[in-house]
Amino acid sequence: MSVAADQSHTAGTSVLDQVGDNIIHHVSNSSLDQPLIHLPQIFGINFSVTKHVLMLWIVTILLTCAVIIPVRKYLQQDKPVPSGWMNVLESIVKFFRDSIVQPNIGSKYSETWAPLILTFFFFILFANGIGLIPVFDLLGALNRFVFQVPASAEHNLINSLLHGGVTATGNFNVTAGLAVITFFAIMIAGIYAHGFINHWKNLAPHGLPWPVYIILIPIEIIGMFVKPFALTMRLAANMTGGHIAILAILSFMAIFAEMFQSTVTGLSLALFSIPMATAISGLELIVVMVQAYVFTLLSAVFIGMAINVHH
Amino acid sequence: MENLHLLGVGLGLGLIVIGAGMGIGRLAAAAAEGIARQPEASDKITAAVNLPLFLLEGVAILGEVFALLIVLMK
Repeated sequence: MSVAADQSHTAGTSVLDQVGDNIIHHVSNSSLDQPLIHLPQIFGINFSVTKHVLMLWIVTILLTCAVIIPVRKYLQQDKPVPSGWMNVLESIVKFFRDSIVQPNIGSKYSETWAPLILTFFFFILFANGIGLIPVFDLLGALNRFVFQVPASAEHNLINSLLHGGVTATGNFNVTAGLAVITFFAIMIAGIYAHGFINHWKNLAPHGLPWPVYIILIPIEIIGMFVKPFALTMRLAANMTGGHIAILAILSFMAIFAEMFQSTVTGLSLALFSIPMATAISGLELIVVMVQAYVFTLLSAVFIGMAINVHH
Repeated sequence: MENLHLLGVGLGLGLIVIGAGMGIGRLAAAAAEGIARQPEASDKITAAVNLPLFLLEGVAILGEVFALLIVLMK
């Protein structure tokens, strides 16, 4: 933040603009003009790897090491008693099967949909959690102050890693992709359980007088699209919001130093800013887990609504 | 007058917080009362409270996203 204050004196712009740009820069994806890896355009879609795509790949590799490989190893061994890390995984899987999938989807289809729900949970949990580890910021600080590489060096890999945020689930496109999977899972669950025609008939309750349907059917169709839209917004906004709050509270130091034209005021505000930012980071630890839980719970509820029609 | 949208965003954010706070507060109060009367039903009450809580939170978050969009895309 002190860097931003220094630049504001040289550039002549207000520190508030600098702080705003800094925050947006921290939570948004890196730009497509400077991708980490250049890939060709296929069908007009640019496949270049930006920061959030890189984070998605890192999450995938971590998930493979932390979940898929231990489970495969456990399934291949002879003794059925799990040990070590498998105990943790098994308790999570058991919790999700017994208290989310069974009550909402029902025991008949719980084995069908539990894998999808658990995949959502582990992926979102890891993608959310990685956003709280400032590994690239730390590398950037080392790069800048220990190895004395200037920040503007375009060809340094670590400097290009610093463009954009690290929470892949804070990007609306990523969560929209996850919600589209839920959208189709709802339809497939309904069609699988009731047949193609009956699934669409089940959207509205039967046996009402016909004028009610004029209002009800559009509402149900809108509701079909609002469900995944709300899932998208909830996850991405929660992940972005926490980071914005932390950065805004830390930015008070720069803002107040500029406002009162004294470095001492800015530094003494650190006594307020840093404990607050630490507390919000602790809150974020809860939010990370709750949001992964919420996304999976709501997905299970929506899939269950398509299967167990209560009308 | 060209910064009037910021006033609207500020008022809107306040209204969002009032609405979400009242909703979540009433939900939590009712759940706590229910658990106090019937401690053995606390699991069922928690499960029943979770879903409306998250739907309510989703509405508040949507409002905040649109407020942010108004500021950023003015």
